[in-house]
Amino acid sequence: MADVAHMPGVFEQLKLVAGLRWHILKNSLRKKNNVLDLIGMIWVGFVSAAVVIGLSFAFYAGGYAFVEKNRAEWLALLYWGIFLWWQVFPIFVAGFGSNFEFATLLRFPLSLRAFYILGLGYGLADFAAVSSICWILAMIAGAASARASILPAMLLVSLLFVLVNVTIERLVGSWLEKVLAKRRTRELFLGLFVLSMVSLNFLNPAIQKWGRGPRLKILQFIPYLSWLPGSLAGNAVGAAARADQHGFLLGTAGLLAWTGVTSAMLWRRFAAQYSGEEISDSPAPVAMKKREKKQFVSEERPGLVSPQVAAMVAKEFRYLRRNGFAFLTLILPPIMVVFFSMQFGPGSVLREHAIKPAVFFPGIMAYLILILVSPAYNSFAYEGKGIQTYFMAPVRFRDVLLGKNLFLVGLVAVELALSLAILTWRIGWPGAPMFAATVMAGTFAVAGQLTIANWSSLSFPKKMEIGKMKGQRNSGVAVWTAFGVQIVLGGICALVLLAGQWTGNPWLAPMVFAGLTAAVIGGYVSSLEALSRLAEAKKELLIETLSR
Amino acid sequence: MDAVDLRVQAGQFFGFLGPNGAGKSTTIKMLTGLLAATSGRMELLGLDFQKHAVEVKRQIGVVPEGMGLFERLTGIEYLRFVGRMYGLDRATTEKRAEELLEFIQLADREKTLIADYSHGMQKKLALAAAVIHGPRILFLDEPFEGVDALAAGALKSLLGRMTERGVTIFLTSHVLEIVERLCSHVAIIHKGRLVAQGSLEELRAGIGENEGEKKTLEQIFLSIVGQSGAEQARLEELTWLT
Repeated sequence: MADVAHMPGVFEQLKLVAGLRWHILKNSLRKKNNVLDLIGMIWVGFVSAAVVIGLSFAFYAGGYAFVEKNRAEWLALLYWGIFLWWQVFPIFVAGFGSNFEFATLLRFPLSLRAFYILGLGYGLADFAAVSSICWILAMIAGAASARASILPAMLLVSLLFVLVNVTIERLVGSWLEKVLAKRRTRELFLGLFVLSMVSLNFLNPAIQKWGRGPRLKILQFIPYLSWLPGSLAGNAVGAAARADQHGFLLGTAGLLAWTGVTSAMLWRRFAAQYSGEEISDSPAPVAMKKREKKQFVSEERPGLVSPQVAAMVAKEFRYLRRNGFAFLTLILPPIMVVFFSMQFGPGSVLREHAIKPAVFFPGIMAYLILILVSPAYNSFAYEGKGIQTYFMAPVRFRDVLLGKNLFLVGLVAVELALSLAILTWRIGWPGAPMFAATVMAGTFAVAGQLTIANWSSLSFPKKMEIGKMKGQRNSGVAVWTAFGVQIVLGGICALVLLAGQWTGNPWLAPMVFAGLTAAVIGGYVSSLEALSRLAEAKKELLIETLSR
Repeated sequence: MDAVDLRVQAGQFFGFLGPNGAGKSTTIKMLTGLLAATSGRMELLGLDFQKHAVEVKRQIGVVPEGMGLFERLTGIEYLRFVGRMYGLDRATTEKRAEELLEFIQLADREKTLIADYSHGMQKKLALAAAVIHGPRILFLDEPFEGVDALAAGALKSLLGRMTERGVTIFLTSHVLEIVERLCSHVAIIHKGRLVAQGSLEELRAGIGENEGEKKTLEQIFLSIVGQSGAEQARLEELTWLT
């Protein structure tokens, strides 16, 4: 028999879990970088608090105004706003990363009831929940200031509304956790999410073109929303304000039904987790097959680059293929070219003010380079523990950098060719000198950035994980470096292009860019040895940061 | 690390032991170019590591702590990549990669990403990658950790075959029975310092073994790192547990 004197109660367990989270936070601040993160967190906390407090005043004013003007049912709008915030914000914050922290509590002797309450407690400690509760309280205070008699009804309705929200949020979170625990599903979801975000750009042009019909159809759906928590809460409070007991009871019963159904569903989900549901990826056994011996012909044709550089290029290609998010960034530029040409090109609503091809070409080229070359400033982000291979293998680091850079250059070339072809089809040919100037300026800007981008990748590495959004950002120094270099190179390109226009010599810009490109390529080649030495000096930082 | 004066003869199966945090993995990292030593000198195969890093790396294979795998490649893709990085031609790389995958029984997982391999599978793949270029020295940091008995048996035969062919193997492991069975020579590091080095017989003699009594490597190890008996004393304090 274990020496357990008594089982801690649910609230004691809640206190223990809160203490655990506090110690984890406190201990994570021991490293210098984490202290910087804390400063960032304090700053974000300060801004968030200001937003929450500011909006609390708005909710107070809304609650007061609606009740004071005998429009209490309009409180449904405020409840809807809170409902959407509470449900959508956590999904964005979860960032398609799996989070097993909560489920790890199951190794302790918790009852299912305690586990369920702990789960709800976690839900109420979320930023979305805390901010929503602040706004609900402000709304109640506003409404009660306008008419004190409404307070009991609002308190009851709001309490049910909070319960429904926290239960739905935990339920969706738990389902998402289950679905996103599988790497492939996680990546697929991320891809769909990014695509849906991109497609939002086309919403405005679509509304402009076919707006009226769909808008009316959407309006027909609004009555059905009255069965959802936001409308039920608003209607119940509105009925209470009109002393309509039947309406109040109906709305409250609706919220109670929602609470009951979602609580039962959440109980089922937590019960599955409690009983040890397996949701992670684990390799299934595979039957071994008898294989035929292959014949290998030992014939090596000399290539343009060394085998090591070629291996790097092949590896980069495979990594790109398996990085759904990066792969989508390749689809994005041609889509955005179509979008920009629809919005600002000839045939758009701008009509005679539409942007001319001679401006569109360099503009789009600058946009493409901005998007496509930015990852080069943290080019080892996805290597993980594999970074050690570069230091174990008998290669000079220049070959590693060269392989990565060659792959990126190839990628940019394909994207530029595709986008410029689309642009020519959509808005027309800008003339040979401007076309040449655009292509040469692109070459100069890419080659000009690679040296600094390599330095930045070696000096300020930051680990990233494929298929995750949360915490996937470059080091601040790398971001500012990229920003600075792009401004400088963009400025030079703009000056050269303008000089061509001022002098009236259309071939001046291509010629100047050719000279500049030759100079930056020379600089790039001579930087590789120095960067190899830098890699050797920074190898501990690279391995430690990326293998974490 | 301080005063680690280590000599390993060619063809030896060398066990490098020490308690947790003693500096075993740090030593391997320095010997394989993953960590720069602040002072001292390292010679591998008669070559100064600092001066001839690329030449030395060409002749060594490593299974580092954490394995160093590119998790977004499949097993065959990773072996192809490593083979090419070590300068093997395409056909040789392809042949060896397939044979190695067959040997470690991962040939049927050609479409599975390394990220989806179990820990033991990753360990086997890391070992396959370390030997694909036929190294003359093999550094293995905890090669048997998380590997099943079947695979461990196969790995031991592979390593045994390699030493027969004159390959030097430098291995760290906490499983002292395996080290005792495989290694001809052993060094023990404690708190960053080398405290013992030699063949098992030399180590036994060093701790003053009684005649007729043959101490195991575990007993030798505990005696040298000064923990012999201490464990028992500490355990006796946990009266509530026993």
